[in-house]
Amino acid sequence: MTQKHDKHLILDNCIKCSICVANCPVVKVTDKYAGPKQNGPDLERFRLDEPRAVHPSIEYCSNCKTCDVVCPSGVNVSAMNCKAKGEYVALHGAPIRDQVLGRVELICKAAQIAPWLVNWAANVKPFRAIGEATVGVAADMPFPRFASRTFLQQYKPKKINNPKGKVLYYPGCYVNYYTPQVGLALAEVFAHNGIEMVVDSFNCCGLPTVSNGLTEVAKGYARNNVAKLNSYIEKGYKIITTCPSCNLTLRQEYHELFDMDTERINNETFDAFEYLLMLHEAGKLDTRLKALPQRFGYHQPCHLRSVGFGIPSLEILRLIPQLEVHNLEAGCCGLSGSYGFKKEKYPISKEIGQNVVQSIQEAGVTQNITECGMCQLQINHLSGLPIHHPIQLLAEAYGLPSYLPK
Amino acid sequence: MNKKTDVLVIGAGLSGMMAAARAAQSGKKVTLLTKGMGTLSLTSGCIDLWGYEVDNPKQPCGNPFTQIQKVVEQNPGHPYAKVYDVLKESLTFFQDICDKDGLTYRDNGGENWLLPTAVGTLRPTYLAPASMAVKDLNKVKQIVVAGFDELKDFYPEVLVTNLKKSKLLRPDCELTVAHLKSGWKKLYATSLAHRLEQPEGQQEAIRQLKPLIKPGAIVLFPPALGERRDIDVAGLISKGLGCSVYEVTNLPPALPGQRLQDLFLKYLKNQGVTVILSSTVTGAQVAGNRCSHVTAEGAGKTFTISAQTYILATGSFVGGGFDSKPGQIEETIFGLPINTGDGKWASGEFLSLKGHPFNRFGIDVNNRLQPVDGQSKVILENVLVTGANLSGSEFSIEKCGNGVALASGFKAGKLAGEVSR
Repeated sequence: MTQKHDKHLILDNCIKCSICVANCPVVKVTDKYAGPKQNGPDLERFRLDEPRAVHPSIEYCSNCKTCDVVCPSGVNVSAMNCKAKGEYVALHGAPIRDQVLGRVELICKAAQIAPWLVNWAANVKPFRAIGEATVGVAADMPFPRFASRTFLQQYKPKKINNPKGKVLYYPGCYVNYYTPQVGLALAEVFAHNGIEMVVDSFNCCGLPTVSNGLTEVAKGYARNNVAKLNSYIEKGYKIITTCPSCNLTLRQEYHELFDMDTERINNETFDAFEYLLMLHEAGKLDTRLKALPQRFGYHQPCHLRSVGFGIPSLEILRLIPQLEVHNLEAGCCGLSGSYGFKKEKYPISKEIGQNVVQSIQEAGVTQNITECGMCQLQINHLSGLPIHHPIQLLAEAYGLPSYLPK
Repeated sequence: MNKKTDVLVIGAGLSGMMAAARAAQSGKKVTLLTKGMGTLSLTSGCIDLWGYEVDNPKQPCGNPFTQIQKVVEQNPGHPYAKVYDVLKESLTFFQDICDKDGLTYRDNGGENWLLPTAVGTLRPTYLAPASMAVKDLNKVKQIVVAGFDELKDFYPEVLVTNLKKSKLLRPDCELTVAHLKSGWKKLYATSLAHRLEQPEGQQEAIRQLKPLIKPGAIVLFPPALGERRDIDVAGLISKGLGCSVYEVTNLPPALPGQRLQDLFLKYLKNQGVTVILSSTVTGAQVAGNRCSHVTAEGAGKTFTISAQTYILATGSFVGGGFDSKPGQIEETIFGLPINTGDGKWASGEFLSLKGHPFNRFGIDVNNRLQPVDGQSKVILENVLVTGANLSGSEFSIEKCGNGVALASGFKAGKLAGEVSR
């Protein structure tokens, strides 16, 4: 429905009210970023004629999309900023570090040769110090640990008789390579509820490449993914994601950034909990859940907020007896994918994340849940507390393998 | 997919959040859905009820209730005429919510405050956060105005030059300009606020200000004394300087409005209100004179929401509730008729004290806040209209925007709470 915007009209919708600046988490903690309004709609006006009208501070936009969420006039500020970043990189090139960090898919594939070796090397302090000094990768930001076997290697589809629905699961790089337990727990929950789940190999959604200004690489991923997703949709599959950033990218970003027609993908793609909520509304979700007398803090990832559907996981988790989930309500965690791994941005990322830390302390919770893998990494890094995907709690409450640490 | 709720509030401005808070208190399942963040973060953070005497628009009024009573008697089309019955009750409700979260709103013993602005004028307002409520300005011996060189949109010389002209100050009151340096190349109000939350930021300010402070002084800051409500930046700097410290009203971004918005959003979530951000209500399904459900759209995908009561709190032009084209204006969800008076949009003069007709444009309602047509017939009985969506007030001249928002939001929430399941 929103896929037919006239971009010039959207630009004119900006009434310069500054609400995006007032809410921008980056502007708050650094003077290196000129702000969403200036880099977005203000300069976009010039960029329509002159692509070089890009302010170098654009690289400090973390692409959290808070500006889009708070704008009362429907201006897609972050898309303007993403494109501007692409223009900037096209003109000036990207440092080798950004070219590597953006290509998450390549890093992950390369690491498969010996994940244990990569995990070991990633934690050797002198190596990290050299990495910071030579290419500018922040030494203090821990890399996520590769799983010994990927989700796709581990997943065995279960035969479901008379399935209530059939879905294709798009795990995204994070679940596939780092947290396969999330995908495995999802598979258990779906099988338990009579949903047939298939998988396939896909490209990275492309968000990390977009965030690093590598627009052409992202476009290539997008084309491959769209073609493959459409082939499944034609066969009657719904597309399921557990990563909010993959979800947003497939549904909205390909269209906004690359003018691709993704209306069908948008309509047929669901966050796992959004799908479960639909089942529940239709009376098809098994609600025989055992009590989980535990307390968790919940962090809403920025890109889940952007999707504009509320927090479906909290609605489902409410069905679990005795489970107490405290909404941390602290805004952006600050990591924003590869952003916080960059030497010059690590302090910014850490500073933004202090709100989450403070909220965790205020609530007195000792374990947390959130949908986004990168948010999990950051919150664990800043708080030292364990953090999981909400689907693992649901699997646990069904008495299924939840892959939670015992 | 369809979501079900008892009360759906559309819009996250002050009236929408008040409505949601009041309906939740009645035990209703409340969903608040909003496209943007609401314009509360763009406001002063003070609650204005009425600013100037009805009979003498240049004279700031003392007791706003006396004036509002006159308005209600003289102008039945004014939104206050529909909500005057709950005005005081709504103020108490509002203050209680803020108090519980440590954000104290002060009244001035029933009279309006006259508080300094960033341009050195004195503006009447009814409730002010403690950090803005300058006490006994007429007794102060020295006013130090603390500007930051790196901050845009706050010029201490302007404030001082204009404030000097005020007859309210003691004749011997000394006005001092302080140019502080922050060590940052550029500051927004939000980044200054963040800096002042850190002990180093406070020390930086105290060190530069201290030599300028004389006995009996107060210090006026831009509205950026922290964002978090658990750090009392004004109090900490005040302690360091040994004198009172206040924020003045300024252009957005300004923190007092932001704090209020954060406080309310958090309060609502803790009350069990489902808050859906970044979602736009694009249309409504109507059967007879009732709305059966609305269609909402997030990231381009649509879903429906059905409720007993729908509260329209989408704001007017800035808030995005009314869409306008040359010569045309429409309410985008229910297509409710908008009263445009005699069809004239603007006065000839930009800063006319009569205001502009377009600010009065809005939806006519009855005393139960239901939208009505030209013959006073209810158009949709389960839709209630609040805040800037209401017709008949000129908030920029009358200074009644937040007062109308509070009272109408409260009343709508209360009425929605009385609907039986």
